[in-house]
Amino acid sequence: MKFDSYHPVINFIYFTAAIAFTIAFHHPVFLAISYAAAFAYSVKLGGVKALIFNLCLVPFMVIYALWYSYYNHFGVTVLGQNFAGNDMTLESLVFGVVISVTAAAVIMWMSCVFRVISSDKVVYLFGRISPKLSLFLSILLRSVPRIKETARRVSIAQRGIGRKGPLRILSIMMTWTLESFASSSESMKSRGYSLRGRTAFSIYRFDNRDRSFVVMIFLCLTLILMAIMFDQTNIHYDPEIIMNRVTPVSYIFYAAYAALLLLPMGLQIAGELRFKSNLGKGEQWTETFEAE
Amino acid sequence: MAQFEIKDLNFSYPTNEEKKALDGINLSIEQGQYITVCGRSGSGKTTLLRHLKSVLTPHGKTSGEILFNGRPLAEADLRTQSSQIGFVMQNPDSQIVTDKVWHELAFGLESLGEDQKTIRTRVAEMASYFGIQGWFHRDVKDLSGGQKQLLNLASIMAMQPSVLILDEPTSQLDPIAAADFLNTVRKINLELGTTIIITEHRLEDIFHASDRVVIMDKGRIVADDAPKKVGALLKREDSPMFAAMPSPVQIYYGACGDEAAAGECPLTVREGRSWLSREFPDGKPEICEIHEAEELSEVTDPAIYLKEIWFRYEKDAPDVLKGVSLAVPAGELSAIVGGNGTGKSTTLKSICNICRPYRGQVYINGQKIDKYKGKELFRNNLAMLPQDPQNLFVKKKVREELEEMVKGEGASDKIREIAALCEIEELMDSHPYDLSGGEQQRAALAKVLLTDPKVLLLDEPTKGMDNFFKLKFAKILADLKARGITILMVSHDVEFCARYADRVSMFFDGGIITTNTPRRFFSQNSFYTTAANRMSRHLFDNAITNEDVISLCKENGK
Repeated sequence: MKFDSYHPVINFIYFTAAIAFTIAFHHPVFLAISYAAAFAYSVKLGGVKALIFNLCLVPFMVIYALWYSYYNHFGVTVLGQNFAGNDMTLESLVFGVVISVTAAAVIMWMSCVFRVISSDKVVYLFGRISPKLSLFLSILLRSVPRIKETARRVSIAQRGIGRKGPLRILSIMMTWTLESFASSSESMKSRGYSLRGRTAFSIYRFDNRDRSFVVMIFLCLTLILMAIMFDQTNIHYDPEIIMNRVTPVSYIFYAAYAALLLLPMGLQIAGELRFKSNLGKGEQWTETFEAE
Repeated sequence: MAQFEIKDLNFSYPTNEEKKALDGINLSIEQGQYITVCGRSGSGKTTLLRHLKSVLTPHGKTSGEILFNGRPLAEADLRTQSSQIGFVMQNPDSQIVTDKVWHELAFGLESLGEDQKTIRTRVAEMASYFGIQGWFHRDVKDLSGGQKQLLNLASIMAMQPSVLILDEPTSQLDPIAAADFLNTVRKINLELGTTIIITEHRLEDIFHASDRVVIMDKGRIVADDAPKKVGALLKREDSPMFAAMPSPVQIYYGACGDEAAAGECPLTVREGRSWLSREFPDGKPEICEIHEAEELSEVTDPAIYLKEIWFRYEKDAPDVLKGVSLAVPAGELSAIVGGNGTGKSTTLKSICNICRPYRGQVYINGQKIDKYKGKELFRNNLAMLPQDPQNLFVKKKVREELEEMVKGEGASDKIREIAALCEIEELMDSHPYDLSGGEQQRAALAKVLLTDPKVLLLDEPTKGMDNFFKLKFAKILADLKARGITILMVSHDVEFCARYADRVSMFFDGGIITTNTPRRFFSQNSFYTTAANRMSRHLFDNAITNEDVISLCKENGK
């Protein structure tokens, strides 16, 4: 139902596509779609916190756009002059806005990535490349919190005899880290780590739901590639704003792009609705059961 | 054919070639047996166990032979040894390699190169057998110590070994988690027929389950017999190892004396009870009470006084301490007992100002804790020995650890004195991390004592200690008390508290429920009490230690 329950490879493909397109397309319509989708999806995943964060980005976007147009002077449509006597142009202002919206959209997409792709998915994805590499990552993910926890304990123990300060425990923490790697490597050896032909186990399965998702993604990707081929995603800002004409076909491309970006959120909402209505039926069923 | 056949095994470490760590070991282990290896720390138990798996065998001079299923162990290849011989080590944390429970379970099978489908089935099987389903997806870092050790066991069992070797697996666990773990080991032995070779301090839980008990001393096997017979041998030779035997065994041989050989030695509390009932067929004997004169007196002028302190770790977290009130009299050994996570350690931390209570007051030697400026609180006043003594060490040598604590004139005399008290003179040039658990405990205690405290706080001091060292440790505490030092310890170890504490308090649900003398305290409890008390409570009113029961038996003419 939720996107994070899909296979990690799908999560990976989807977010790579979304972020790559967001960075590549400077076309205002595509950019607006991406911004809106990222905004909506991050709020869907992160709730009020994400909403506040996204709104906080807005002033930075405005400041960046103004700053950009203040120092870049390409373009033909002069709006006025700044204090140094340089022209301020419509083109540079618009392009500033485009860059800042792109940046904000990428940041919001990344916040979705962090919520959906957990560390073990990253480990899994690396395992597709090399089992040893993924194991190494997994060991790292285990070590970091462990070292932190030990440092905390050591520092508490020191406070118990009236000694303080992070410098005091630095060298012993290094010794401890080496020591702990030595003993976990012993445990690894004892469980046959050095044998040839290591496999990488994962708890993920690629099922029909994942397959249908892939079909939908590739349908949208094909349409978007067509849009790229027809120059529908292209736009020039320097020296003046030039883009291809918006035709009825363009709307199909826009729709495909929006569909791609909204797909996970749409599926999640659809799933929630179905769950709710099922629950409703369940309740009715219990009532009739009790009435009997 | 025996599964393991050890013939004339000798071994010495390269650092000390004169001393044999293993000296003429002969041992034969049959498939499916449950073998307990005991002996004090440094007796060569761990060295012996590590010889049973080639990758873990320490470097040094070896002679003799080890046969595994009739062929030399060295000839068994890594693949066979990895899957056939499972090895669980002492520290639950350092054995875990990966960050997720499910990944850890699969680790060994990945090494063996099993395919997805096989691993999936085996992992599912293990998780169900060991009851891990509930935390299958969790991060390892969020597990409790007991869960971690169970995970280690499960991930080794996933490789379907025919023999399981466990080296003090429960020394870092609390009693409940330890009993749980050892029951699981027992279950594996009974249900799967896996051979078990285990070393343990906590003999109560495994003694009765063992087929054979092997006792080691100074690298030799001094006894190798059924659990019911081993006690007699140790008693006859007056071996110090006798102190490690479970309470029923000690009481039986202590009370029966020479007649002991004729009867059957009880191993569990249940057997101990019925043996006592047979000894006293007419019910309660004439003398059924140990005389205790004084009532617990009202504490005047306490060294530590807690006045309804409340504490929580975070603003919205639940309260850990809910109005703890406690008065610890000066110059006594007070103990706080109670379950896990009830807030005992937090109480100690708030006494030394690491956790500041948001309501209530802490008084140290009659003065409010906030009134102590800067380091005053810890100068010749207060010191805490943490649960894991290793956390106290920050230097490369034990000597440096001690030297950093005292400066100026007479420092070296003082260090010598304290080192002698804690018996660590021979360890002064070792790295603190190279010491064994008991040695670390002593070195840490020495370090803490060099602050010259009037009040000493001990957090689970007997965790991981063997019974011989507990006797030594009790002597050190008695010495400190004689110097007028107030000691407050938090512990799970009811046997130790019953024997050595002056007063015992029960901690539950964020507060002290009751305080009493150990005799009154433990004789009033029926679950949370010593084995000696549980064994004898139907006959004697307030016997709480092995010595109590033995002396009452003798007084009644048995």
